[in-house]
Formats: sequence, structure tokens, C-alpha cells
Amino acid sequence: MICAERIQTFVLQRITFILLGIAGIPVWNVLQKADAADTEAASAVTPLNTLSPLLDDLYILLLISLFAILLGIVCAFYLQEWLPQTNWTRRFIESVVAVFDGIPSICYGILATGIFFSYAGTLKTLGGVHVPQRTEDGSTLVPSVFEHDTVVFYIVVLTFILMVMPVTIKTTQTALGSVATPIREAAYALGASHWQVLRRQVIPLVFTRILAGGCRAMSGALATVALIIGIYTWQYTTDPGNMPNRFVLFFGSALFLSIFSSILIKLYASASANPTHPTR
Amino acid sequence: MPMNYSIEAENLNLWYGDFQALIDVNVKIPHGQITSLIGPSGCGKSTLLRCFNRVNERYGNVTTEGKIEVLGKNIYDTDVSLPELRKAVGMVFQRPNPLPISVYENVLFGLRIHSPMRSITRAEADEIVEEALTSVFLWTDLKDKLKTRATSLQLEQQQKLCIARLLPLKPKIILMDEPCSALDAKGTRAVEELMEVLAGTYTFIIVTHNMAQARRVSKECIFMFLGELIEHRETQVLFTDPKHEKTSDYVHMRYG
Repeated sequence: MICAERIQTFVLQRITFILLGIAGIPVWNVLQKADAADTEAASAVTPLNTLSPLLDDLYILLLISLFAILLGIVCAFYLQEWLPQTNWTRRFIESVVAVFDGIPSICYGILATGIFFSYAGTLKTLGGVHVPQRTEDGSTLVPSVFEHDTVVFYIVVLTFILMVMPVTIKTTQTALGSVATPIREAAYALGASHWQVLRRQVIPLVFTRILAGGCRAMSGALATVALIIGIYTWQYTTDPGNMPNRFVLFFGSALFLSIFSSILIKLYASASANPTHPTR
Repeated sequence: MPMNYSIEAENLNLWYGDFQALIDVNVKIPHGQITSLIGPSGCGKSTLLRCFNRVNERYGNVTTEGKIEVLGKNIYDTDVSLPELRKAVGMVFQRPNPLPISVYENVLFGLRIHSPMRSITRAEADEIVEEALTSVFLWTDLKDKLKTRATSLQLEQQQKLCIARLLPLKPKIILMDEPCSALDAKGTRAVEELMEVLAGTYTFIIVTHNMAQARRVSKECIFMFLGELIEHRETQVLFTDPKHEKTSDYVHMRYG
């Protein structure tokens, strides 16, 4: 039985790698073609040093969303494990999360582009960010467009946090709630403290689900951000030439993460053979 | 001779919110034998049992008054450490609830949470697992399956494993909340035999709905009714010559 589980896990892992590879190919192709077509920049820019600033953006976003996801997970643990169900803070946060979780991501896109961009001028006068003007000269050669004090950057970050946090909180809470009471009771009756129960029993059981939830949240956010970038941000950046690359990269990552999260869920469902129900 | 008793409860009252589940319970449970708790559903048997290692406090909304001395120490004193109490007073639940990890790790789980990280060597661990599984008569069946997930065992084996996992902690008292209600006749018999073998070493308190079982395994028997302790006598006497009318009605199955 253990053997069958292992084989399943193994096969699923291979499938993950293959899909990862497949998802990577179009992104890579587009990036290379885009550079080849850019005749002006062809001499100065090789695929590698165009890719790196692009990935830089992605990394920064991933870091931010990782932070948002961690915050969401901590928040969910606190709500689910430490606050009693009758606590009004918990009920308030849960209802807010439920509302945000239910909004389709297209609305976030509209919110981000509509509301945030209309305040771009205000943000500029406040002095916090600068809104770059579109230039016609050779500044397009510089690939780092997504400057970290532009309006676009802040909007993308805010959208990200707003989209990632509620989904993470919701999935984490559901996952924690799904751990059967007898498992916890058994551990408590053996003298385990609350933290030991969480660390040794609950977290190993729900880890995959939380990870899958995080990936799903991130994939949704990345797709929305890709659309914002692809449609609306031309006029706010110094280098519109690189926008298609960025769009493809973000969209590709979103696709990949979404596939990855469904594989994680599949992995959890099949390989762990219903671990939250102790007696089957 | 206070140490002749494993557990002494005095004027124990317990409320779940407004509902009083235990009313002035006074009980002395003798050391090293099996005591059974019987009574109709909702009479507070399980609640009383859960008081003895304070697991019922987790549900919140629970108020307790009175005194319970376990091994001569009041467990409601402020200096009592819950992990230590639960180490000394083990508990087996109604449905077998092995943790969803391997059989081997299940047996060691209790020990691992009570000892510092990596303080148990591989050889020691092997020995402890073998000893615990041998004393619940599982070793011959499971010695080749130590790495299987415990939840994939048969129910009877799971329940025995739940008992085995208490033993490395060397508890003094083992509480059992209807340990056989999820098992078939063969499994019930196996668990009962196991209890009889272990009874000299450990004090057993068993909640049961099965009066035949209470009669078979226990030396003393406690009858509870609507949160009150009605009668506490030797099992044979309680079943043949009950003093109280309610007890007599119950043991003769005039109501259930």
C-alpha cells in the first residue's frame, strides 16, 4: 500500500516537472523573439540581460506575495487556533475575508486600474512616487522600466496583497478546520501542548493544502497583474517596448502556478489517502 | 492510607455554560484495579472521566469546582503542569484514534513530546516500541508493518495501538471512554483480556454502556444518574443486590 502511494507520488512529481518544462518553453521563445525583433537594441541587449531585469520584477513580486501569503497564514492560524469562535474580531475578519474571497479577480483588475490609477496624480503631488512621462528618445534601451517608485509598482503591489491575503486566509482556515478532532484529542491526551499538536500533527497534515492555496492565490493575482500591465500601464512607464515580454512572463507564471496548485491538490488527495480521517 | 486510592474526588461540581453536568460527586478509586462507570447516556460518565486528566477544559465554557486528588495531588492546584498530569493519566477514546503517522512513530509520539529533541537513540526507540507492542500483544502481528500508516490497521489493532502508545510514558492510571464500542465481539474480547493482564500495573477506569462488559472486567462499579453519583460498590454486589432503586432499575434494564 505504501508502495502504491510512493509510485503515485513519484509519477505526479514527474508530471509536475514535465508540465513545468512545457510551461517554460513558450515564455522563453517569446522572450528570445522579442529581443531578436528589437533591431535597435539587438547589438546592446542579449536575451540574457533582458531576461534578468524581467525576472527581477517577477522576483520582487514573488517576494512581496510570499510575504502576503505568510502574513495570511499567520493570520489564519491566529484566527482559527487561538481566537474562540464567538470572538467578535474573528467574526468581523472572517466576514470581510469571505467578501473579498468571493469577488472575481476581474473586479480586482478593474479596481486596480480604475481607482488606483485615477489617484496616480494625487500620489504624485504627495511626493511619494513619480509618474514617468512617455519619452520618444533612446531611453527605451534601458530595460528596467518597472521602477520601484513608480505608480505602477505600488498599484501592482497593492493589488497583489489585496488579492492574495483573503484567499490564503480562507484556504488555510478551511484546511485547519478539516483536521479531524480525534487527531488533536489523541495528541492532547498524551500531554502535548497546543504548539506541539500544531507542529507535529496539524501542520504536516495541512501543509500541502496551504501551499496549494497560496499558489492558487498567487496565480490569480499574477494573471490580474499581467492584464493590468498588458493593457493599462503603457503610458506610465519609460519603456513600453518591454511590456509584451512582461505580460507574457507574468501570464506564464500565473498559468504555471495554477497548474502547480491543482497538481498539489491532486497530490494531497491521492498520495495521503485521506489523512484527516483517522479511521477511514 | 491515602495512597491506596489512585483518584479521590471531593464535592466535584462541573458546569457546561449554565448546564450542571456533575453534581457533588465524591468518589475514591482504588489503586491497581479496573473500575467501571455505568449509567444512561448523558449522565456525566464521560465528563467525570475527562475531569481526571482535565481534557474537558479544552472545550471552553467549562467551570469546575471542588477537588480531585490524583496520586495524592490536587490537579486543580495552580502549580500542576498539564503535560505532566496527562503523562501520568493516559486516555483511550471511543473510536480508535491513532495519529496518521507510522505505527512506530505512534508508539513513540508521547515519549517524543515529553523529551528533548533527539534525546532518544535509534536502539532505545526500537526497544521501547517492541516492549510496548509486546505488552498489548501486537508485536507478532505488526513487527513487519512498523512503517505502515497506523490508520490503515484493523480497528481492533488500532485500539490496541492506542493503548500501546500510552505505555512508554509509564502512566499510573489509564482512562477508557467506551473503548470497545467501535469493535466487534472478537476485538472487544481482545481489549478486555489486555486490560485484565495490565490491571495489576495500571489503574483502569472504564466508561461503558455494555453492562455485561462492566460485570466481566471490573472489580468495582460506579453507577451515575443525571450528573449524580448514585452508587459505588463492588461490581458483583452492585449487580446482584443494588441498594438504590435507580441502580436496580438500570442494571435490570428497566430503562436504558
